[in-house]
Amino acid sequence: MAKRPKLTADERNTLIKSGYDSIVLEGAGGIASSPIWSKLTKQDPSDRILVIVELSGGNDGLNTVIPFADDAYYRSRPNLGIREDKAIRIDDHFAFQNSMSGFERLYKDGQMAIVHGVGYDQPSFSHFSSMAYWQTGAPNSGEVYGWLGRMADAIDPQGHRQNFLVNIDDHQSIAVNAMHHVPLVFDDPEKFSRRMFHAEAEAIAAGDAQGDVDQNPSLDYLFEIAASASRSERLVREAWDSYETPVDYGLVNWGLERVAALIAADFPTNVYYVPYRNNAFDTHVHQGNLHTRLWSYTSDHIAAFLRDMDRLGRGDDVVLMAFSEFGRRVAENTSLGTDHGTAGPAFIIGKPIHGGHYGGIPSLTDLDEGNLKYTTDFRRVYATLIRGWMGHDAVGTILSKDFEPLPVFRMSA
Amino acid sequence: MTPLVEGSLAPISASHWNIKRAAHLLSRAGFGGTPAEIAELAAMSPSDAVELFIQGRDDGPTLPDFEDSGFWEPSLADFPPSRPATTDQAAESGEVMGVKNKPTGPRPLQPATNRFFYWRRASMLETRRVAFWWLERMLRSGHPLEERMTLFWHGHFATGEEKVRDYRKIKLQIDTLRAGALGSFRDLLTAIAKDPAMLVFLDSTHNVKGSPNENFGREVMELFTMGVGNYTEDDIREAARAFTGWSNDDLEFRFDEAKHDTGEKNFFGKKGAFDGDDILAMILDQEQTAIYTASKLYRFFVRDDIPEDFAIELGSLLRDGDYQLAPFLKTLFLSEDFHSDLPIAMHIMSPTELIISTYRKLGLDALPGVPDPYTTGNTLGQILLYPPTVAGWSEGRAWITPGLLFERGNFAREVMFPDMISFVDPNYEPGDIVRRTNDNINAGMEITAATLEEGAAPSATAGIQESFNTRFGNLMGWQEAMRKLKPTPRAAAQFNLTKTLSAEGARTSEEAVDLLAGRLLCVPLTASSRNALIEMLTEELGTSELERAQGHTEYGLRLVAHAIMCTPQYQLA
Repeated sequence: MAKRPKLTADERNTLIKSGYDSIVLEGAGGIASSPIWSKLTKQDPSDRILVIVELSGGNDGLNTVIPFADDAYYRSRPNLGIREDKAIRIDDHFAFQNSMSGFERLYKDGQMAIVHGVGYDQPSFSHFSSMAYWQTGAPNSGEVYGWLGRMADAIDPQGHRQNFLVNIDDHQSIAVNAMHHVPLVFDDPEKFSRRMFHAEAEAIAAGDAQGDVDQNPSLDYLFEIAASASRSERLVREAWDSYETPVDYGLVNWGLERVAALIAADFPTNVYYVPYRNNAFDTHVHQGNLHTRLWSYTSDHIAAFLRDMDRLGRGDDVVLMAFSEFGRRVAENTSLGTDHGTAGPAFIIGKPIHGGHYGGIPSLTDLDEGNLKYTTDFRRVYATLIRGWMGHDAVGTILSKDFEPLPVFRMSA
Repeated sequence: MTPLVEGSLAPISASHWNIKRAAHLLSRAGFGGTPAEIAELAAMSPSDAVELFIQGRDDGPTLPDFEDSGFWEPSLADFPPSRPATTDQAAESGEVMGVKNKPTGPRPLQPATNRFFYWRRASMLETRRVAFWWLERMLRSGHPLEERMTLFWHGHFATGEEKVRDYRKIKLQIDTLRAGALGSFRDLLTAIAKDPAMLVFLDSTHNVKGSPNENFGREVMELFTMGVGNYTEDDIREAARAFTGWSNDDLEFRFDEAKHDTGEKNFFGKKGAFDGDDILAMILDQEQTAIYTASKLYRFFVRDDIPEDFAIELGSLLRDGDYQLAPFLKTLFLSEDFHSDLPIAMHIMSPTELIISTYRKLGLDALPGVPDPYTTGNTLGQILLYPPTVAGWSEGRAWITPGLLFERGNFAREVMFPDMISFVDPNYEPGDIVRRTNDNINAGMEITAATLEEGAAPSATAGIQESFNTRFGNLMGWQEAMRKLKPTPRAAAQFNLTKTLSAEGARTSEEAVDLLAGRLLCVPLTASSRNALIEMLTEELGTSELERAQGHTEYGLRLVAHAIMCTPQYQLA
């Protein structure tokens, strides 16, 4: 049954008094009073898993969480605006694209927090720069470590936990750059390997084995990595080979199925970073069908992953956050597409989440040169995950400033 | 012999000078080299050897200038900041970058769109050629320290084509960095503050009186001179005001008096109507600037950890020498600290160092086009002229992940066994979407239909009145750029390990393995690794005596070289 408790005036006041300035739509979604997930079980908090999904290219938020009740939306998008009857209505104001039945289910089950108007000051319209700002969690700065890398360093400063961070990609994202952790980065589990000729295999394996411990710390480090590479290569391949699931991950397997394989194999990983790659969401041209399809792949895949987690008995241990480096302009362009914009919605999903709307809804008429004015700094979303989910209080040292977490967590489970 | 003292800047004596230290100098002040080059240095006095790096050799090869493909036309100087800006401008004024809109008919703004994509693709492809040209300089130059310092400054004043969108400005900046690489940091900082690529990269055009943009004002202190925590947000704001009006006219610095804020500024506790040059001078007066710069040089050339008091000493050395870099580096490279045990073989090479040192150790005189250095850099995490952020690359351990260690070995395999059959020139690879559009256009499809994603309903094309089509523009831009693009030479590395080892007197597989390991590594193989390699080579040759395997040794020797280059030791210099 859908969990959609209507917020009382009292609850609203309590929230405002507690400093949570998120504006919550009356009648839409529920609100929790807990910025922190306090699970009352015997399980170690280090069992908690955070999955970050990066929707690269700049997702068109307005055609994702469609504000059908706002006429300004249709005025700005006479051709691209999606009619209410062609969409999945989730409440009196918003609807999802028709292809987003996976998200609909998660939302109706009360497992999805939609955070509105997520952005930052002095936004960059460059994919590259804006993505770097999100990945470092430090807009307009020269930060070299990623926000997840810094979080891993803060939670486990010695870097003792092997494979704390996993990044499914063909190169390492800045987001997982850490000082003391070596993220495990792989793309195709079958290809996470050395390329070598048959005759070399033994000699190359012998080269990876450390002799006596050296006086040279760089060399020791490299041998450690070599050992971890050989070990991880084997573990990843084994996890992948032995993973079977009845769950249908949708038409495009863009990475979460590999995350599920590692979780199924009990990888000790706390953070998985998975991009939907190749700037896919950069929909400048004829975006209608394309964007609909992208969201069917995305929402089916994410919903399947969470079902799979449930199947594995890990549903309570997983929270997923999906974001894009920016939204798109409010008005459509003349190619039936949309150009680079500013703020957009982020999604925090999982059983520990108290579903509903969070963050102020940006106005579609009070714009900044045709772009939405952001209402929620994206680092509030990060703070929510760092403190509320990963249980690390010193948010300020990771994000260089304290940000108020959003109250997205259920009180207990 | 007395051991060398860490933290001492006293010069080493001739009695400490040997093959190992000569190799250390060559690998750090240069990009490494062959045993013959190391022997040549070892035969000199330490001071002469260091001087050879500072001055460069007289008998080095003549390095060719960069040859443009011929993409540039003066009308491109007004290249708009984005595609939407391009079409907006075209819609408003009827033309853009010397291209008029179509007076009638569909897609009136298509020529403008094509023009935009032409230059984006052209600049991007040409930037890869500039990087290729630069890498070849690193490989061939008789003055490798100059190239290495240029690389250092490129990471320090990290500017990328992605935002600058003009290979000419990028090339100009690299030339400026090279010209000032070993001169005075004072001059270099000023030159870079007025460098067109930097002015564009850090939004100087948006920094105007009354509406300052703090990007440059912030980075000049945070990244270029002092580091965080040594100035206030007010200092940044005031500095930004002082830099207002600094801008560029294409490839020239321009000072726009009308946009300059002549008012009084309060910077580092002093008041005055400062301009940008005043701010730079005041920054250079700070002790912290010299400490920060000297420490970064030390970490790049010597080792990651620098004790605080030693950083202060190095800062004084740089500042007392009025920021002259050559004498500073000479002191450093001659010092007991540099040659003490601590930094030897401790440096984890960057991808660029790995590529260039690999080729130099093999004695190559041309940069191989297979494997493609751009692709290798992309895989290993360092694409020249595309630093990941304004902070440049994080050096040292950040270069290595388990996957990247594998990929370094995979690069070595491509050097030893270039796969000419599988190779595809990435400069002619525009990506799947462009290929698909191209196929559709070639098949005679109408533009709108040709650019729709597969699976889109045909009815979606009905009634669309586009004023331009970016996907088609992208295709046209790629085609025109690729037609003009000068080809990159795609030769495989030319070397012959059989001849090299025979000249060095190798007779057995054991001697061959030892000589190859000696040439490629600065730290020995483990005993079990060495044994496994000897066994592999003997098995591959069918004998342990090279003479009995005459005519079929090369493959086996390359297997050995590849396996050595896969080891953790090979990542060190």
